[in-house]
Amino acid sequence: MSRKNKPKSTATGRKNGRGEMTSRFYGLPIPGYKDEEVGGSLIVLEGTDGSGRSTQITLLTEWLESQGFAVQTMGLRRSYLVAEDIDDLLANNAVTRMTLALMYATDFYDQLEHRILPALRSGMVVLADRYIYTLIARGVVRGIDREYMHGLYQMALRPHLTFWLNVRPEVAFEREFRKSHAISYWESGRDMSLSSDLFRSFIRYQSMVKKEFETLGRRHTFVPVDGGRSVPEVNQEVRERIAAHLGIRSTRYRPSGALAAAWR
Amino acid sequence: MNVWEALVNPLPTMQAEEEAPSLPAPQLLKTDGTRPYPGALIVVEGIDGSGKSTQLYLLKRWLEIGGYRLHFTEWNSSELVKSATKRGKQSRLLTPVTFSLLHAADFADRCERQILPLLQGGYLVLADRYIYTAFARDTARGCSPEWLRNLYRFAPLPDLTFYFRAPLEVAVNRILSGRPKLKYYEAGMDLGLSFDRAESFRVFQGMIMSEYDRMAEGDNFVVMDGTQQVNKLQKKMREIAGERVDLKHFRPKEKGRAERASRP
Repeated sequence: MSRKNKPKSTATGRKNGRGEMTSRFYGLPIPGYKDEEVGGSLIVLEGTDGSGRSTQITLLTEWLESQGFAVQTMGLRRSYLVAEDIDDLLANNAVTRMTLALMYATDFYDQLEHRILPALRSGMVVLADRYIYTLIARGVVRGIDREYMHGLYQMALRPHLTFWLNVRPEVAFEREFRKSHAISYWESGRDMSLSSDLFRSFIRYQSMVKKEFETLGRRHTFVPVDGGRSVPEVNQEVRERIAAHLGIRSTRYRPSGALAAAWR
Repeated sequence: MNVWEALVNPLPTMQAEEEAPSLPAPQLLKTDGTRPYPGALIVVEGIDGSGKSTQLYLLKRWLEIGGYRLHFTEWNSSELVKSATKRGKQSRLLTPVTFSLLHAADFADRCERQILPLLQGGYLVLADRYIYTAFARDTARGCSPEWLRNLYRFAPLPDLTFYFRAPLEVAVNRILSGRPKLKYYEAGMDLGLSFDRAESFRVFQGMIMSEYDRMAEGDNFVVMDGTQQVNKLQKKMREIAGERVDLKHFRPKEKGRAERASRP
């Protein structure tokens, strides 16, 4: 582990809030990995579509790098192995819920093994734009057994911090619409036949996912963040928590010119 | 704001969550020996070269010639994961976990779109390899058996499982004499058992066989001696199939014109 970038906080994963010994993995470790080899920090940003995650990840990456931390990012559908295949499946709507859930699991574990674990081993900070919680929530709202989904992600790493950017579905709708001037098939959960009205379908689907996040948040101690506020306000709150975790003294930050447009 | 509330509140759609069939169900309904569908599932398992495919082929021919309503399915990669599997194998990036998940995704597709609907439609489904192949092979690769059992919880349990067992040397020599070029993953080279492919294959098959042996009792395998003469073994297989599965249920009705018309 590079000394320079080593997070100063006590390596969590040793003890949880109640002082019990816990593993870095939820259940069993990935075959071939030992708990003690996993260093670094894993920080997750979760939230529904339009909750502002990606913007915050971009800003946080810049801030952390300016503080001298090496950052690796991950997200959904970014694996070498199956990202393209999932894109194809989604484009063709020719996939059943179970298959899709398992393809996403493959995508997740491929990134975990080939991107996240190597990064954590070399002491980097990993920022995850969505994590297993989105995948669990999506499966559960589609009628896949909750414990099945949790069992599937037994070999996932426990994050050090999980922020939940909580926004109301109607705010999410406005943001998504502003972004792409249309609402996508999957963002509105149209595979679930909730409503033939796209807007209603979006609101219902996102509300169901949000409800599932609330359940997950109780189980996995999310840090809830009001995502309805401005980008600088949300960033400030998240930054302070991360600074405390990594032992960064100053939380002052102004985005560079390249990112100034996101700062409003 | 009231407009929004009116739209968000008629959310009792969320109660549909409980009514919607939750997915890993078929196995759970099985505890009392009954199935939630009129079809039946017969599977063969065993290591490569144990004679299982030949025997299932002969059973299938017997039933086909008799005009039984049946469908044959194999544990093969379908179009769905072909490109991903190819990509992973070429670059040797598949790990025990992603290897396992890709096969599970592929099987889920076959299960949801083929096996389960056929069972619901009253077909006799014959499967050359089934979930026990994944349990044996992926456990040998280092995956946790509990994780695997959960992963395949959506699969309907077989009504009858034949386990073809031949001494390791016999089975391995059958394969090695006929197919000198073993593929990397097929030979279990990813496990680092030996630099020699044939030797690696031998050891890997031995590990898989131990896993099959371990499952034989708990999963109600009917153990078949793969060294017996082909026709004698087939006679025995047909007898057992007749005893354990209500085959007449799948036989064509002599006079039923409607029945005949509905057959493909």
